[in-house]
Amino acid sequence: MSEFFGPLDSEARVPPRQQTRVSAFLVSAHGALARQFALALPARLESAWQTELNAQFYRESEIVSLLLRATRWVPDLAAGYMAVGWETAWFPKPAQGIPDQALALAVDLATRAHAVHAGIRPAALLPVQVDATDPFVMAVRRLEFESGRLLQAQIIMLKGPKLAPFRDAVSSALEARHSEVRKLWVEALEGIGIAIQRTKP
Amino acid sequence: MPFLSHGTYRIRYDLEGPAGAPAYVLVNGLTQYAELWGAYRDALLARRFRVATFDLLGQGGSDKPALFINQDDQVTALHLLIGELGEGPVFLGGISFGALIALRYAIDHGHRLSGLVPMSAFAELSPQLLLIGNALRTGLILGGTGYLQDLLLPMNLSDQWLEPLLDKLDSVKRQGWLVNDVFALQNLMESFLDFAPLTPKLSSIAVPTMILNGEFDFLTPRALHETLRVNIPDSSLVIIPRAYHAFTLEKAALTADLLARFAEDVMAGRWQGKQAVWIAPEDAGGELTPFPAGYDHLRAVPVRRAAT
Repeated sequence: MSEFFGPLDSEARVPPRQQTRVSAFLVSAHGALARQFALALPARLESAWQTELNAQFYRESEIVSLLLRATRWVPDLAAGYMAVGWETAWFPKPAQGIPDQALALAVDLATRAHAVHAGIRPAALLPVQVDATDPFVMAVRRLEFESGRLLQAQIIMLKGPKLAPFRDAVSSALEARHSEVRKLWVEALEGIGIAIQRTKP
Repeated sequence: MPFLSHGTYRIRYDLEGPAGAPAYVLVNGLTQYAELWGAYRDALLARRFRVATFDLLGQGGSDKPALFINQDDQVTALHLLIGELGEGPVFLGGISFGALIALRYAIDHGHRLSGLVPMSAFAELSPQLLLIGNALRTGLILGGTGYLQDLLLPMNLSDQWLEPLLDKLDSVKRQGWLVNDVFALQNLMESFLDFAPLTPKLSSIAVPTMILNGEFDFLTPRALHETLRVNIPDSSLVIIPRAYHAFTLEKAALTADLLARFAEDVMAGRWQGKQAVWIAPEDAGGELTPFPAGYDHLRAVPVRRAAT
């Protein structure tokens, strides 16, 4: 087990099996977010905040597209099995303690997006020796960088005044989502020889 | 490293040195992690201190609350750690954000301390510090942890320290980038959104207090340390020559020596704060010299202090 991708191949690239597993997880997570942002996005924007919804949808789609093209895919039977668990985890689960169901669903989507954008750091798995010009390396660095920016919309919503009366419920939902996503991420990585710290975001 | 528990959160800490020995507890700055005190641990252990370091909530190997980090929780985490030390003398030092947490601890639990060392410290957000803090937060949001580090390195370290590292800054930044997460750093910064100045409470700090301020620290300049010196009764201000905000990284040998001497003086009954102003030596082991009488230590040029 290592904290980083590797051993790298002779051209300092991440092994295809590790690329495949990590990208499969990320495509699943960001793809689910893209789908749900798409469903939430009205054909005609009526509120200013919906411009951010539009941005989130296209950034998530871009991440999926990028990973699909930058990854050196190889067959990964375990990923197929794990994907069932991943996709199940992305199902909407209205946040407990918020009586307005529409708001509870919005909180759920925001907490999941927060957990994915804040808690999943694939670029932190890159060892220093990796070829920085490799497409997969560029892709995960870009994904992590963009995640930090996408995260801001979730932070603004979850810390915002509209949810202030439900602060405990929001915090609980968010911590639970972080734990869930983190667990899936850790398990996905363990199967390819990568062990990351299990501290709790 | 072992962990402490605070509610559902875990706090990573390290404690070394003989049980019963006087202890130093060191509190990290914003983007730091416990291992950065390694030189202090070695120097203080060699002088027969216990040394406790830890990652604040939101940092390094400690848990990272997802949405809010309350500064009260940091004080509680510190209290838990000090509770692990038994009944011996405890000296508490902190740098920058860590100095603020140390000050808050001294206000709430001063009876448990034998001495306090706020370094690159502040008790209130001056307009400059508020605006710089806001800009650093924006930098973090737009550019990530790496960009925040890019801003902090030249602000807080000297040319002499930076020059030999210019072609390997990525490796200097890497560990801090690996162990710190954007959302957690942002939460730490946003713990100031409801910050109330500590200045009115500083006079309640009764323990001997040595305030350390880098000569060239423009992130937390002299005036912010002066607030501490004027309001903490048994204090003195020590100016570290040619030092910037992060002098604990750059001048570890000197600073560790000052910490040890301060604690030794307090325990030997030699310490006299007198709200005096001193200039630290250039190197560990040198003599402190009083700031020249009659001159204004708040100025960067030799201006005589106005008669009062």
